Amino acid sequence: MTNFSTEPYVVNIGPQHPSTHGVFRMKVTLDGERITDAEMVVGYLHRSMEKLAEERTYTQNIPFTDRADYLSSMSNNLAYCLTAEKLAGIAVPERGEHIRVIMAELQRLANHCMAVGTFINDAGAWQTPLMWLFAEREKILDLFEMTCGARLTLNYMRIGGVSFDLPDEFVPACRRFIDQFPGRLDEVEQMLLENEILLARSKGIGVIPTVAAINASLTGPMLRASGVAWDIRKADPYSIYDRFAFRVPVGENGDSYDRFLVRLAEMRESVKIVDQALRALPGGPHKVDVPLSIRPPVGEAYARVEAPKGELGFYLVSDGGTSPWRFHMRPPSLINLSLLREMVIGLTIADAIVSFGSVDIVIGELDR
Amino acid sequence: MNVLANWWDLRSLANPVNGLLGWLRDKGWDEIAYIVSGSIGAAAIGLFLGVAMLALIWVERRVIARIQIRRGPNRVGPQGLLQPVADAIKLMQKESLTPRLGDKWVFWLAPLLLFIPTVLTLGVVPFGDGMTVADLNVGVLFIIAVGSVMPLVVFMAGWSSNNKYSLLGAMRTIAMVLSYELPAVISLLSVVVLTGSMQLGEIINFQKDHNTWNVFLLPLPFAIYLIASLAEIGRSPYDIAEAESEIVAGYHTEYSGMKFGLFYAVELANALIIGGLFAVFFFGGWWTYYLDVIIPSWVLFFVKMLLGYWLFVWARGTVPRLRIDQSLKFSWQFLVPMGLLNVVLVAFEVALWYQLDAPGIILAPFAVINWLLTAGLIVGYVRLLKLEHTQTPRRLTLTEDVGIVTHVPAPSAAGYSAAGGSPA
Amino acid sequence: MDGFGVTAAFWGLSALAVGSALGIMLARSLLHAVLWLILAFAGLAGLFVTLSADFVAVAQVLVYAGAVGVLVVFAIMLTPNSQTGNSETRMVGPGLFVASVVSGIMVYIATQTDWSTAARGDFPATALEIGTALTNRYLLPFEVASVLLIAAMVGAIVLVRAARDEPERRELAGEGEGEVNTAEAAGREVVAAGSHGGH
Repeated sequence: MTNFSTEPYVVNIGPQHPSTHGVFRMKVTLDGERITDAEMVVGYLHRSMEKLAEERTYTQNIPFTDRADYLSSMSNNLAYCLTAEKLAGIAVPERGEHIRVIMAELQRLANHCMAVGTFINDAGAWQTPLMWLFAEREKILDLFEMTCGARLTLNYMRIGGVSFDLPDEFVPACRRFIDQFPGRLDEVEQMLLENEILLARSKGIGVIPTVAAINASLTGPMLRASGVAWDIRKADPYSIYDRFAFRVPVGENGDSYDRFLVRLAEMRESVKIVDQALRALPGGPHKVDVPLSIRPPVGEAYARVEAPKGELGFYLVSDGGTSPWRFHMRPPSLINLSLLREMVIGLTIADAIVSFGSVDIVIGELDR
Repeated sequence: MNVLANWWDLRSLANPVNGLLGWLRDKGWDEIAYIVSGSIGAAAIGLFLGVAMLALIWVERRVIARIQIRRGPNRVGPQGLLQPVADAIKLMQKESLTPRLGDKWVFWLAPLLLFIPTVLTLGVVPFGDGMTVADLNVGVLFIIAVGSVMPLVVFMAGWSSNNKYSLLGAMRTIAMVLSYELPAVISLLSVVVLTGSMQLGEIINFQKDHNTWNVFLLPLPFAIYLIASLAEIGRSPYDIAEAESEIVAGYHTEYSGMKFGLFYAVELANALIIGGLFAVFFFGGWWTYYLDVIIPSWVLFFVKMLLGYWLFVWARGTVPRLRIDQSLKFSWQFLVPMGLLNVVLVAFEVALWYQLDAPGIILAPFAVINWLLTAGLIVGYVRLLKLEHTQTPRRLTLTEDVGIVTHVPAPSAAGYSAAGGSPA
Repeated sequence: MDGFGVTAAFWGLSALAVGSALGIMLARSLLHAVLWLILAFAGLAGLFVTLSADFVAVAQVLVYAGAVGVLVVFAIMLTPNSQTGNSETRMVGPGLFVASVVSGIMVYIATQTDWSTAARGDFPATALEIGTALTNRYLLPFEVASVLLIAAMVGAIVLVRAARDEPERRELAGEGEGEVNTAEAAGREVVAAGSHGGH
């Protein structure tokens, strides 16, 4: 009676599981409901993207980036095009830059809608916040469809600008959207922010201390929730982000709840950026004429953007040919997830799912 | 029962039945009357269950859809009313799998046995004036007893599936039901002490005789029973046993086809029954302040039942899920002691009532006292245990400067986060 | 016994109870045995109903089929290798002997006692009578039993707590201190590290 010895109970959470957001697999060892060990297994969606890209021209590689983080393909397009432009020394016209900023920020809104919604779903709400935010995301996707015809894998940006100019009805439609969006956010916050159950489930759960966050080179909302004010849009401004006034939300506790708060606050800031960009939208060409098959000079380039999930960087090496000699991607999903094991050990299954949901990953980007 | 009621008086559906039985007895066919009455009761419950489940699926899906700014099922039949039928046909066509290493017999029995408590409970529910299949004089205890068999059946389902998620779900269910049965029983004890009977019909008659609903007199038991019954039938926020995002579908992960359909149907039926029991224990059952003279009593009862059910659907559409240890803690730390205090209070009041031999109007001051004491008790007890909401949400720091650390998170109070322990 | 219905119910329920009792012994899996046991309890509850002791019947279901059943299931689940079933033991012989002696004695008593069958009257509300009896005539045994149960419960809690509490607490304290130090030290490093970013 003095010593309970329990047999270790190994459970495979995933690859098919309602809340692994795809084909992620977490092999956990349980003592009762408490996790004593966890092992991440990634690679179920590996498509050899980086190798394939070496066989295609710089322009042909843009669709690949759509399929990495398919919930924020605009940001991926942007990061890749920035890198290629840096490599080839191409400047983008003003209008093109503004359109890129508008699209990237709309994409951030769409991505965070999804991230917050699924996080609450993982915490056990039966779809309601997800559906509310999905309705908003649909409106953003409508805006994308209006612009380039696609809704998910957009393939909109081009080296040297964007593929199409904005249609006439875009600006009023976008303005209508950003005018009503904060109101919808208020509704969601009213329902969730002070929800006792959500607080109980996410406060103090999956804490990542500042030092651990930095050592693991986390980025994006994960890092900001752990108390580090770090945003590439401000720290290393790309495109024309230095012209816009916005602030960076920073959390205090580094727990799941703070990550949720950071995403909500970021959405409000993104709305401000879209608003400013719409006001400042100049006329002129939306892209410079770049041949479909460019031959950048021999060299290498790395450019990074603040994607919705964190720092998304592309590294391209050119040997002077029409396709990159090396194509590499810094996927925020994978790097943000690298602390998962430390995060979930000692938690219960329920908490582990909440912590996992608060990371906001997309398997397409994780496995590439 | 009304003496004047004739068999065509459909305000009570018991009238035609009694008419038929009376006719049979007049003829001297007592045995046939016995069999006929039993058959009618069984048929009524079966019919009610079947129709109610189909209707409830539709109600649940439509209400949730409204909450979620969707339309919900609206294609099959008018307003999608036939959608549940289509679903049932689909489920019956599906292959019903049995895990190869599972316990085949137990696996097959569990969904069937799960229906027994549900049907038995319906047997004592008074659907209207005189419309009870068997108004047992230990009705309340019967409901509790029958309900206590539920976790065993759930355990059978979870264990025989030979699936880790199923077993986790089953163990969660048992822990939940054991913890929440106690507050439910204690809150019903208050009702029994006040009304002086365990017979459901008598509980309604008490409310009718004293022109009151029990909820006015017993606010605290009402709240406790609401929470505890939510937990017992495993509806959100207590759907811990079948937490979709955590353990897939809990104890019925491995069930497919109509066997899964049975689990689903029982869950709905239980929610409806709890709605009905709310009506009986706290809202006067079929009696509704003389409204039952104009409107058939069974219609009133169904309305109350559905309102209770609607409350559950509403909860499901709104709140996240609790963690198992949090919910158990809530039961043992909060619901049980509060319920016990309330039983003492009610017993004291009833004793006082009998001692003074006072008229029924004494219930009015009791109601006021109970409401005040309930508020006081909750506030006081929360203060005492320091269960207060200390985690006020705050706005985040918004900064223009990057590259700095604004806050260093304090080490996790729970001590479970290993991330801080081994940052390297 | 009056009427065909009650007699039929008696025999049916008796068959159920005895059959399930046999099932308990014949089942190879421990868990099946428990399920049979619960069925036997249910059969007994039915027998109480035929004797008009509805309170006792309901209590039987509540306490035995519900609570005791769950308890036994828990005990089995907490036992390692519980699913492998009954193993062969050398106690089969002595067990059979004891069982046959006990059942022999019971059958002897049942057949030899002069049961008074006329006492069965009308029990309008057995719950009321039992309650009155417990709080008046049998108050002392009732209270003694409740004190005993509380003692047992407290004892169980003490046994379990003593085993699990201490190591956990020590672990918590140690971990907490470590975290504060590393986190504070980290804060300063970060300021320097922050300027050149995350890669």
